[in-house]
Amino acid sequence: MSLIVAEELGKRYGVVVAVDGLNLKLDEGSVTGLIGPNGAGKTTTIKMILGLLKPDRGVVRVFGQDPWDNPDIRSMTGIVYEKAFFPAHQKTLEYLERVCRIYGVSESRAMEVLEAVNLQEASNREIRALSAGMLQKFAIAHALVHKPKLIVADEMTANLDPQARSELLELVLNLNKEEKVAFLLSSHILPELSMVCDSVAIINRGKVWASGELSDLYDKYAVGIVRVTTDRPEKLAAEVKKLNYVKDVDTDVRGFSVTVVEGKEDEIYEDVPGLAKRVKAKLLGIETGSASLQELYRLAVSGKERK
Amino acid sequence: MGKGKPFLEVLASAIHEDFRFPFLELFAFLYMLGAFALANFSVSLYSQVSTNEAVAYVVTTSLIGFSLLFFLILVFKNIAYGLGSELEKGIIQTYFSYPLKRWAILTAKLLSGIGVSLLLFLGIQISAFYILAPDIVSTQLSTIMLTYAANLSFPLIISGIILLLTLQLGRGGIGLVVGIMLYLGMSIASQIALLVAQATESALGVQIISMFSPNYALQYHYRALVGASSSLWNPTLSETMLYIGGSYAIVAALFILGYIYFSRRLNL
Repeated sequence: MSLIVAEELGKRYGVVVAVDGLNLKLDEGSVTGLIGPNGAGKTTTIKMILGLLKPDRGVVRVFGQDPWDNPDIRSMTGIVYEKAFFPAHQKTLEYLERVCRIYGVSESRAMEVLEAVNLQEASNREIRALSAGMLQKFAIAHALVHKPKLIVADEMTANLDPQARSELLELVLNLNKEEKVAFLLSSHILPELSMVCDSVAIINRGKVWASGELSDLYDKYAVGIVRVTTDRPEKLAAEVKKLNYVKDVDTDVRGFSVTVVEGKEDEIYEDVPGLAKRVKAKLLGIETGSASLQELYRLAVSGKERK
Repeated sequence: MGKGKPFLEVLASAIHEDFRFPFLELFAFLYMLGAFALANFSVSLYSQVSTNEAVAYVVTTSLIGFSLLFFLILVFKNIAYGLGSELEKGIIQTYFSYPLKRWAILTAKLLSGIGVSLLLFLGIQISAFYILAPDIVSTQLSTIMLTYAANLSFPLIISGIILLLTLQLGRGGIGLVVGIMLYLGMSIASQIALLVAQATESALGVQIISMFSPNYALQYHYRALVGASSSLWNPTLSETMLYIGGSYAIVAALFILGYIYFSRRLNL
């Protein structure tokens, strides 16, 4: 069953087209990442899904219903906004207990969710006294109060330190695995999404450019990609670039990804060791089809742009 | 889960924010100051006041005097600053994540911003009345209620305009400035209308002003004018009621527009 269905969604702000004929589906129990550059239309899409913005055209259904001014959907959905704001002068635990009463769940749940995000020590603190990171954690606790079936989060890990990020991603995985909570996560931190998402929708210029399960997308877009790991990526990449069947080389600190002409993957396995020897680089590994989500995103977007 | 509970919780949260320390204490003190210390019961100033109803009107108006100004400040603060900043910061967006219809969220905000302010204002006013002039309260309750109704409609009209501007702009600052300008403008316009009415011996200007601020019609009805001729216009009680009803129709229209906008059009 699809929890979210968006068909031909469109939204413009004056002359600026924010979302242009966007199609999206999120299935029960899945963790879907919404990825795209700044201004791609991610937040506008999420706001339309949450019933905060009315689409100019198209249809959006959440749990099969129109999300605009729909309290039924709110009872089943947890929401984490990019910038979380709550009534500032109330204490964290007191406010969450209020939220428990709003949703009709036991007030003890308030402490449970604070503990889930490691905020129990701030339970007696006013919301305005929380740091940006703590406020983000509080927003996540707030979204978990009523044990929703779906959590929609816009840049959920923004403002969090690496430790908190990894704890949060673990929490996402646990909730998804144990309680079958579905997630729609928008983020620009692609390595994080690749850790938790089973499917992604790549959005650019207000449209979904590619979507589906990660494995399918890798099969479709990551063909002809070979990942080389080395201690001297710059030097070795420069040599590899000179090979006539190499289309593109994308270097990072640990190595580089080589896009080769289709069918030439085997040749690079033969050529790279020799080149590494020549530039005195230590070859740590060569493997096919292990493109990162970032590369997948780049390929999907550049492929569309070429078309 | 009780159906009314989410609404009551959002209302309680709104009241917590709107009346956090020291606002409730400060305004309760100001209302008491206005009612007990700043009220002027010198009915003798009004030479043409002759009936008991007119005396009750004059006493009530004197009692309302400064407190109405404090009421205005509190309501403007709650709508423009309270609702406006909550829209701007995204707290309303957070309220939208709760299982409540949009109209219920706005009702909670308005009940907190205007309803509680009004209760506080009327509570202290009526208590002061019972202490200061119990005989007038017991014999002229309907005149007193009518006077309160006539005095409160204009501040509510301005509040409705501030609400619409705040919702449309998504912030309260401009709404607040426009509200204060409108209030001051209306005060100046009414004085000009009174002068013009005197000079031209035509009550048209005062009648127009009375549509928005029906206290003027009531003032003419009870002949409670200081240094002005009341022979210019002598509206009957029914006509005065019509002006009061008309002004509340404007209040209702403004707030209904606010509700429609909030429920159907407000994009966050």
